[in-house]
Amino acid sequence: MSSEAGTLTTERGAGRGGPRSGRGAGTGQVPRRRRTGRPEPGRVVGRVLVWSFVAFNVLIFLFLITSSVKSTPDIFDAPWGLPTSLHLENWSNAWNESGFARATVNTVALAVAGSVSTLVVSAPAAYVLSRVRHRSAGPLSLFFALGLGIPAQVTVIPLFEMMSNVGLVNSLFGLYVLYTATHVPFTVFLLTGFMRSLPGEIEEAAAIDGASALRSFAQVMLPLARSGLVTVLILNAISMWNETLLGIVFLQSVDKYTLSLAVLNFLSSMQFSGADYGGLFAGVCILVLPMLLLYVWLGRRIVEGITLGAGK
Amino acid sequence: MALAALSGTATRRRDHAGGMSAFERSRRRLYLPFVVPALLLHLVFVIGPTAAALWISFHRWDGVSPMEWTGLDNYTALLEDSTFRTALVNTLVILVVAGLAIFVISFVLTMIVRELRWKSFVRSVLFFPHIVSAIVLSIVWGFIFQHNGVVNTILDRLFGAEPIPWLNADNLFVMILIGTVWLSTGLYVTIIMAGVDRIPQYFYDDAQLAGASAFQRLRHVTLPLSWDVISVAAIFWTISSLKIFEFIYAFGGTTNDLPPPGVWNSALFVYGESFGGRSPSYLFGYASASAILMLGLFAFLVVGLRRLMRRDPIEF
Repeated sequence: MSSEAGTLTTERGAGRGGPRSGRGAGTGQVPRRRRTGRPEPGRVVGRVLVWSFVAFNVLIFLFLITSSVKSTPDIFDAPWGLPTSLHLENWSNAWNESGFARATVNTVALAVAGSVSTLVVSAPAAYVLSRVRHRSAGPLSLFFALGLGIPAQVTVIPLFEMMSNVGLVNSLFGLYVLYTATHVPFTVFLLTGFMRSLPGEIEEAAAIDGASALRSFAQVMLPLARSGLVTVLILNAISMWNETLLGIVFLQSVDKYTLSLAVLNFLSSMQFSGADYGGLFAGVCILVLPMLLLYVWLGRRIVEGITLGAGK
Repeated sequence: MALAALSGTATRRRDHAGGMSAFERSRRRLYLPFVVPALLLHLVFVIGPTAAALWISFHRWDGVSPMEWTGLDNYTALLEDSTFRTALVNTLVILVVAGLAIFVISFVLTMIVRELRWKSFVRSVLFFPHIVSAIVLSIVWGFIFQHNGVVNTILDRLFGAEPIPWLNADNLFVMILIGTVWLSTGLYVTIIMAGVDRIPQYFYDDAQLAGASAFQRLRHVTLPLSWDVISVAAIFWTISSLKIFEFIYAFGGTTNDLPPPGVWNSALFVYGESFGGRSPSYLFGYASASAILMLGLFAFLVVGLRRLMRRDPIEF
């Protein structure tokens, strides 16, 4: 699952209608359908379905949290029960002894540095591709879009060879370079569409005032495109936070592991050291909770980024 | 908006008539320095490796000894390899079966959710799995369906049912399919709802006045007017279904080995034939051939799907 999700539509959406089109005049608010006299049975069944789906997701999440402070026998005996006593040592063991502290540091560093670098490289490219009428601009945009369809399993073997030639296998810096580079196509694609949808008049006004193109980019375009930039930054950070395939191929020593590798490592070590599901779920929570907090904080932005004028 | 666009072209034409403005020229000078860094990364880390994978696929190679040209041998061997055939079928089953389920369920959920008072809350909760690591979802999904897991425990307490072997070899892939539907549906609900929300209410009012049933409203208003969103989402699903890896990789318990080959998809096959497993096989040429074959197949499918789903755009 990658962050590329759905945002594909963002581009198309933003492409024609502009960022406003999502809530465009007259179409934004969906007036509630007038209630007909008796509730249709199909509708009732549908609502039950929706709410069970919602309940399932919420319960799974509560299950994760409560299990992370239970002992393993408790998890099996009373999976939905509240913990009888708080086994906070699950968390401290995961954090101190199973390498999750180190993995958290690694993952935060990778996600932050990677998503920022991708943006720094991609935003200027998207700007000129969307604004300069150069005959290569169209084909180049398509060329970047091509990268969206290439899965990591196609490139991973040549990349491994390439990176081992320059000594960047089993290196967090190497993985950072890979994360940055592999997120460029998506970011350029998304931002080109987004910037194309922004009105050109403000830049023209800046030009009349004698601003250089560089200044116009920095002081007009970047602030104008802020919402798109932030959205793609978050989506990339989430994708890098959760990334696994490149991680398991390129990282070999435990002290370099990212959080998802630490979880997998914990899972496989249970085979020898005995089942410790409490500890496993504590580790899982360390991987999931930051994303939950980000989602609670910026969820509207993430969802709106994805739906931003989806469609036209 | 239309007005803005018009005046925009007018300005541009004037510029064009008198050559380029100083601003245009200075922006043009930015073109190369701005585009080259991104382009280089794209070429070196995405396009180049893809071409290299094609080249490697014509060789026998373990990454250490020299490459040995074998022509199309890897490809012919693949077609006779039952593990690959299973992986190919699994990938296509995920694409088609899980895909159809995701789209039908998402559409139904969209129609229901958009009328709820708690619409945005419901949408957020359904969407949430999409930003959680697939590894975690896979572990949880496998855990609750274990033999002595949560689902069997609940069934036992409620009905005294015998434990159901959800995760034995016959059921494992079905559980992966259902899990995939579970974690993807929220995303497509979000996308489709955004498309459906843009349909102006007066179409529905009009249809209602004309006496259209709920199904007719769906058939003649909702579907055609959200078709472009649906077709983009379908292409998007095709691309992302090929990338599914983590959910299958981490599925099925606590071994430190790969899942059984019966549930592999294309990504698992590549990993399993190269770096994966307790004793990796490092068949780089063979694994690359399978990756290239699947990439070609999916490129073909994406083009076909685009043709198939193309409709005259409806302006509204």
